[in-house]
Amino acid sequence: MKEIVDISYLELFAGYALMLIPVFVFWYYKTGLVKDTLWATIRMTVQLLLVGFYLDFIFKLDSVLVNIIWVLIMSVIASYTIVQRSRLSYRLFLFPVLLSGIISIAITDAYFLGFVIKLDNVFDARYFIPITGMLLGNTIRTVILSLDSFYKKIDDEQTTYRWYLANGASRKEALQPFMRSALRIAFNPLIATTAIMGLISLPGMMTGQILGGSNPNIAVKYQIMILIIIFSSAILNVVLTIWFSNKIAFDAFDNLRLNIFRKRK
Amino acid sequence: MINYLYKIFIEKMITISNLQLRFKEEHIYKNFSLSVQKGEHIAISGDSGKGKSTLLHLLLGFIPDFKGNINIAGIPLTAKNIKAIRKKIAWLPQEIALNFQTVEELFMASFALEINKAHKPSLQEIANIFNTFELSESLLKKDIKEISGGQKQRILLASTLLTKKPIVLLDEPSSALDSKIKKKITDYIMAQDITIIAATHDDYWVAKSDKTIHLN
Repeated sequence: MKEIVDISYLELFAGYALMLIPVFVFWYYKTGLVKDTLWATIRMTVQLLLVGFYLDFIFKLDSVLVNIIWVLIMSVIASYTIVQRSRLSYRLFLFPVLLSGIISIAITDAYFLGFVIKLDNVFDARYFIPITGMLLGNTIRTVILSLDSFYKKIDDEQTTYRWYLANGASRKEALQPFMRSALRIAFNPLIATTAIMGLISLPGMMTGQILGGSNPNIAVKYQIMILIIIFSSAILNVVLTIWFSNKIAFDAFDNLRLNIFRKRK
Repeated sequence: MINYLYKIFIEKMITISNLQLRFKEEHIYKNFSLSVQKGEHIAISGDSGKGKSTLLHLLLGFIPDFKGNINIAGIPLTAKNIKAIRKKIAWLPQEIALNFQTVEELFMASFALEINKAHKPSLQEIANIFNTFELSESLLKKDIKEISGGQKQRILLASTLLTKKPIVLLDEPSSALDSKIKKKITDYIMAQDITIIAATHDDYWVAKSDKTIHLN
């Protein structure tokens, strides 16, 4: 197996030249996106370089406590992003979203790292941190979509929700059509991505492993497992988030509390 | 007349006393009281925006921040009792977008709920009410998008009545019906021995009701 070709900082800088294409197109069509694009690129660069330094440090240290703290920090950031993008109240939703995230990660990580690949130490930094990072990164979008569509639909179609309640349905029964719809909206893209995996796109993790010198067969097996744990982690996360947030999103009469939505500025 | 007097002396199904409700600065209800006997048919009339639908929403616990007392079937309207109260009620709002594909799914939606499963109508009951409401049973197989607003209203009214709840709350129940069928359906509903409160603009419905509450 050939050694991987490193990218020097000079070459990395040269690679940025490709960003001139989108910047030019955005500028030409006066989209107002040039500043945002440049800012996003700078942020991405700084964040990833910092992550590179951190991970290098954390991998060398490989302390169970530090690894867990690192994953908790990632979970807090992911939860904040989910609540922010779902336009829901930070005060009411941050905790249930975080709790669901941690539980779903704990279950899927424990199963995959402890039972499937049988690591002696499931908190081994080389596995625990990147796998959890991928889980979080790939489930965020699904959780945002499901939370957003679930509560927004109940609000938009309040008469329908009320019709169920008024005709004797329990809250659980009244929420079922909305849960069904939220799951469809959130998981259809994930199902579609899973179905075309390998045909149209080569997934990032597998490509990374191959570039890093792994045998493609091993990389493929890891990729399959990753897609499966993303799926189960996402569904656990969505169901738990909606389940936990239900406790605070409805009043004692089962009416949707309107203060769950963030006020538009 | 005898029938009406009989109803009055039986039992109170709904009592509202000293109801006060405000939205922001506006008083929607101020010292409003109402007593509805078992089997009585009440029409709530008044211009749009006067709180006809709001009264139905209040009875269903959708607006919990009212002042005063509401009692339904002998049960005070509180958070603790709301489930027991809703089990006694069937409600048909003016507009409802239930997300179903076929008319049959729409018609049977109420009976899919745990509480109403025991009242799932027999084929004979469906045939009878469809006959009265001038609906063809073949409609059940159609896509919801294929039926008219009037047909949808008749389907939902039929389904609501078949749940056999002691209290039925209707919001503009005849708004999409043409005058001929409207009279037939109104007469049929008024002949039912259930307590009905309907928010309505319909003069015929008002005339046929036992009592009319005009909101202004």
